Amino acid sequence: MISYQLASTFIGLTIAGAILFLVRRDRLHGPYAVWWLGMAITVVLLGFFPRIFDHLALWVGVGYPPILAIVLGLGLMLIKLLTMDLERSRQERQIRRLAQRLAMLEARPPTTETDSANDTTPPEDPSNEWNV
Amino acid sequence: MGFVVRSVKLAPGCGVVVIDDASTDTTARAAQAAGATVLPLSLQLGAWGATQTGIRYALRHGYQIAVTMDADGQHDASQIGALLEPILAERAEVVIGACPERASRARRIAWSYFRLLTGLGLEDITSGFRAYNHKAMQMLASAEASLLDYQDVGVLLILKRNGLRIAEIPVFMQARALGGSRVFSSWLVVSKYMLQTSLLCIARVGRYYGLSKPPSLAEPDS
Repeated sequence: MISYQLASTFIGLTIAGAILFLVRRDRLHGPYAVWWLGMAITVVLLGFFPRIFDHLALWVGVGYPPILAIVLGLGLMLIKLLTMDLERSRQERQIRRLAQRLAMLEARPPTTETDSANDTTPPEDPSNEWNV
Repeated sequence: MGFVVRSVKLAPGCGVVVIDDASTDTTARAAQAAGATVLPLSLQLGAWGATQTGIRYALRHGYQIAVTMDADGQHDASQIGALLEPILAERAEVVIGACPERASRARRIAWSYFRLLTGLGLEDITSGFRAYNHKAMQMLASAEASLLDYQDVGVLLILKRNGLRIAEIPVFMQARALGGSRVFSSWLVVSKYMLQTSLLCIARVGRYYGLSKPPSLAEPDS
């Protein structure tokens, strides 16, 4: 049986290694990379010194130290999920406005010879207009 | 599709723009042939996203008033004149063509629920037959309005919050010539709609009373 310390060190190093690998490969956009580098450092620290939580729990008055780790971990995950949804909403807004703008740029003039309010766009050949 | 565009073209001095919300059939081409400018959306944005596209387009091209209509033949273009009257007389910034008679019982219940929740004293909050003046168009073209999914309550709340006067005039509406309501189609969709809209109303509680900064008027190019 390997020691508790060794197992936790190994887990910490593996997670941090995976994160560092991805950050170095430019798979993560700037601000996310910062967050995840912070995560990597935390995971390594906790891996090497799993006793940190024992002291921390004593200090904040939690009777059972592992539960403090779990609660803190879940809390951080919730915050991360929330910021992810905020970011997704921001992107959704941008995508929608971009699609609208594209539609305005791609405005197709009437194909009939009626007086149109949109006289700025010259009539195009309908045959190639539909191939875009 | 073509007959809707042609009926609008009968009104003098207005341009007709049809927004193609990523459709796969030939309606966009029919609209074009009938004399409308077609704005092809590359992603399906839903009713409000499409309407906003049209409003942004109208602003860009210097139009002072925008009239929105459903393209399914439900709204009668001959009533556009009546719809514009309160705006031209400067009695309102937004005019809704209301036809409460068309509603089923379930829809009436939904409407009175939203009336209660929003404090909007309007008969027909879901009607897509509306006229907006330039100020209203600028507000609705803003990025703030881009995350709305439906054109009714959220849109009206934005207008109301900015102190615009919303008028309603009774109009006659046809039974839909083509297709059904997108919102009132299935119970699942209805529940989702009710939940989202309720949340929208509740989230805005208190924002009437000057707690929020007025949203900056959008420059049409944002």
